[in-house]
Amino acid sequence: MRFSARPSSGLVLVAGLLVLWEVSARLDWMHTPNWPPLTHVLAALLRDTLTGEIPLLVGGTLWRMAAGLAAGGVVGVAVGMVFAALPLTARLFGPTVELIRPIPIPAVIPPLVLFLGLDNTMKVTVVALTVFFPVLTNTMQGVGAVEADTLAMGRTFGIGPLRRALHITLPAVLPYILAGFRVSLALALVVTVVAEMIAGEQGVGHYLVMMQFAGRAPEMYATVVVLAVLGYLLNRAFLMMERRVIHWWFALGRQHDE
Amino acid sequence: MTEITRRLALSLAALPLAAPPLLGQSLTKMRVSVIPVLDVAPLHAAIREGYFAAEGLEIDTSTTTGGATGLPGLVAGQFRATFSNAVSILLGVREGLDFRFISGASRGTMTPPDILAVLAKKGSGIRSGKDLEGKRIASNTRNNIVWLRGMAWVEKTGGDWNKVTTVEVPFPQMADALAGGRVDAAILSEPFVAGALATHGDTLERIGWPISETAPGGTNAQYVGMKEDLDANGEIFDRFGRALHRGVDWVNARLTDPALLELIAGFSRVPVERLRQVALPAYPKGVTPAELDELLASMKHFGMTGSYPAPASLIFRSAAV
Repeated sequence: MRFSARPSSGLVLVAGLLVLWEVSARLDWMHTPNWPPLTHVLAALLRDTLTGEIPLLVGGTLWRMAAGLAAGGVVGVAVGMVFAALPLTARLFGPTVELIRPIPIPAVIPPLVLFLGLDNTMKVTVVALTVFFPVLTNTMQGVGAVEADTLAMGRTFGIGPLRRALHITLPAVLPYILAGFRVSLALALVVTVVAEMIAGEQGVGHYLVMMQFAGRAPEMYATVVVLAVLGYLLNRAFLMMERRVIHWWFALGRQHDE
Repeated sequence: MTEITRRLALSLAALPLAAPPLLGQSLTKMRVSVIPVLDVAPLHAAIREGYFAAEGLEIDTSTTTGGATGLPGLVAGQFRATFSNAVSILLGVREGLDFRFISGASRGTMTPPDILAVLAKKGSGIRSGKDLEGKRIASNTRNNIVWLRGMAWVEKTGGDWNKVTTVEVPFPQMADALAGGRVDAAILSEPFVAGALATHGDTLERIGWPISETAPGGTNAQYVGMKEDLDANGEIFDRFGRALHRGVDWVNARLTDPALLELIAGFSRVPVERLRQVALPAYPKGVTPAELDELLASMKHFGMTGSYPAPASLIFRSAAV
């Protein structure tokens, strides 16, 4: 990851938009004090970062997101593998999964509060539900794409079904699973914050709504900036991890290209 | 095997005997749902001044800005007590939910400034409910106390409330919606009134006081608990009421004191300099059948019909002060 200052760099557009933000707020193009200049936003961000409030909130939000991501991801992979290995289970549970999948998660948060409360249990569950479906779909897709020759070779060498699943299918499916996780990662952050905005007194989401209701626009936008940067960094970190874990797959792709 | 089971059973049986002294030392935890508004200042005062601790209670406030989870969370047992507006509480009671008033929270004052205000754009020619017929008015929610008082004001100032379209706009966005011409008037509560006039004072103006013009001193918000919980643990709520009402005394003794504004700024995060412009509610301790009767009559008049239990039966003894 190297930042270049060439005019073709995407960073130029980002910088341009930030300047536009500052100028539009300074000249009051929107005719409202609820559109504060970027410099005020950054000052508010610095202030609440130094008091330790924002780092603590971000930590809490990230923790809930990670817990939900892990729980939903593990279950998604497991269910995906079972669905693909035993078509009967897919026939039995497939329609249920397909019915639940399109439900917008924020719509079910209020009823979930009734069963799971307002704290971590509810929020982690909501994130896990969000993560589950993309991971499940990708896992099933991946299992379908495992080359028959590979599996046949495993059988020839007398490898049992469980070991075949763990040592042949799972590594071959890994690129698909990771792609599912990457989609889920962005969703997980969004859903964690939404859940925090709706219920309870935790995390970045709650802070954002509090500041909105307190009429403190700079603090509110500071949270938005934090979330944007957080989302960007999470994605970058994930890509780097992905390159390490499945470097062989990227190498394979390059071979095909040549 | 049987020996182990017997010993286990004996030790389990002995647990309740060991428990009471332990419980006696620790505080009873109570989770209370609140909204970060001026009305809950006494609760925060009572927490900070240690009035709840003196009654053996530890209060854990859960702040929800929308208030959408407050009453459902109470029904679900997430909270022991919830702060909410009187209309939403009574609508819940109408639907068969066993809410009981455990303390008063806020009422309007007898004379302006009110905690609610109707704002309009300067130079728009809108001065009364009559002028709003066929136009759009913003309320944070339909069928709550803000909306009800707003509609009462429309009628009092010569308008037909059925001819005024209500648009749901969250409080923080109301000033911008009004200044941008997306609505023709807005019913705001404090501290958003002060906020709107501070930031949009050149374009917006106040055209009405919905409480003092229609029902001076009218009821606004209360704390409620569930009947079942109150029947079983009434003594806890007696302690809750006593501590909260000491908080009310603390607040009422400081209505013109900067210490109160600092307290409110602490929990609401609204800057103190803005709070200086804010109109405060009256902070009552109790809930009276008369104020609920007045409200129910108004609710039925503005379309929230149905059968409601007698108000006196909804008031728990801690609110009968």
